[in-house]
Amino acid sequence: MTDRGEARRADHLASVPPPPPDAADLVRAVARGDEAAFGRLYDLVAPRVFGLIRRVLRDPAQAEEVAQEVMVEVWRTANRFDPARGSATAWVFTIAHRRAVDRVRAEQASANRTMKVGAASVDTPYDEVVDEVTGRLERQQVRHCLDDLTELQRQAVTLAYYQGHSYAEVADLLATPLPTVKSRMRDGLIRLRDCLGVEVATR
Amino acid sequence: MTDDIHALVGAYALNAVDDLERAAFERHLADCPACRADADELRETAARLAGDTWSVPPPRLRGEVLAAIGRTRQLPPVTTAAARPEQSGWRRRLVAAAAAVALAGGTGAAVYAVQEQRVRENGTLAAEAQLREARTRSILAAPDVVVRTAPMSGGGKVTVASSALRDAGVVLVGADQAPAADQAFQLWTVRGGGAPVAVPDGVLAAGSAVGVEIVDGLPDVDAVAVSLEPAGGSVTPTTVVGQVSPI
Ligand SMILES: [Zn+2]
Repeated sequence: MTDRGEARRADHLASVPPPPPDAADLVRAVARGDEAAFGRLYDLVAPRVFGLIRRVLRDPAQAEEVAQEVMVEVWRTANRFDPARGSATAWVFTIAHRRAVDRVRAEQASANRTMKVGAASVDTPYDEVVDEVTGRLERQQVRHCLDDLTELQRQAVTLAYYQGHSYAEVADLLATPLPTVKSRMRDGLIRLRDCLGVEVATR
Repeated sequence: MTDDIHALVGAYALNAVDDLERAAFERHLADCPACRADADELRETAARLAGDTWSVPPPRLRGEVLAAIGRTRQLPPVTTAAARPEQSGWRRRLVAAAAAVALAGGTGAAVYAVQEQRVRENGTLAAEAQLREARTRSILAAPDVVVRTAPMSGGGKVTVASSALRDAGVVLVGADQAPAADQAFQLWTVRGGGAPVAVPDGVLAAGSAVGVEIVDGLPDVDAVAVSLEPAGGSVTPTTVVGQVSPI
């Protein structure tokens, strides 16, 4: 490689933001008690953690509270992350989703949520701060792959994931038999998996 | 249910199941490698849906979270790789057992408590933990089990499941807030108008918000109390933060 090539390459690199840190490395560092790594992990996942919780809860104040619980949980249980079972970001979002869903159901138990399928799609404001390449690409890819599902698959998956409905509630909302809803969730996710190219290391 | 339990993998990955179904499916996962692989992949897939939810949290949240982790103790590492497959098996089984209590007590905190308990004990007194788990399960499965729950003063719940047939009970502490690192919850029994008696080995780990203890003779006591103590426990209760009658 020539000097000129090196110089040009260096120029090019300088104009591009540094690559995002690897989430798995960060979680491993967090597991050792590294607070600086936790700060970087926070910056990497917080917009999606908060966005996901907010989408499920549809209340920014509560979403903030749950997001804080989730991030503290990530800190506390970082040692439980097992790379053989999936990616570090999925591990974080799984914690976030579970917490958000638990909160929604707890509320549902106290004050009955009124919810119709039509009124379901409350769009999360897309803050311009995160209007960056990775976020935009990810968003486009997810939407593209969701569009690729059948209508029933898409409804079943999104009502459960984005609104925290149980499959029994989804069956009710869609006036569809329980076994059908279970199957659509499963085959919908399988189709999404193939579209998104998801792989888990150890099979 | 067993006929089509494999079909639940999608709903499970989407968190679209209730606590009992989750427990049942996780029991199934222990014996079904195909579902285990599917569950991992579909959970990974479901998590990708979070990519469509970007929303920047208020900047103050970062400071609040960083301050909170400064006060939060981390779980210790899992000690040996060899212990892991077995550990996850126990954990699944114990979570399943706890789900019964959680459902009866109407709280998700109890499930959480038992999961943490498993983690705390992992790699130390494995055999003893298994024995305790077996006892816990036997108490929870007793035909005459009675479950009672009471709130804790700092938030959270204390749940007691007791069985006269087993002459014992299981106490689950699930506080919303962990005590300071140099403090711990301690369990007491109260009979008649007498002074509270410390439950043997009834001091939870320092700084731990959650714990599960088996208490012998529980159906005979009038109340179980939880107090906040200096780490290691006290001879008499310092600050009682919760109390529940087993029957
Ligand atoms: Zn299976």
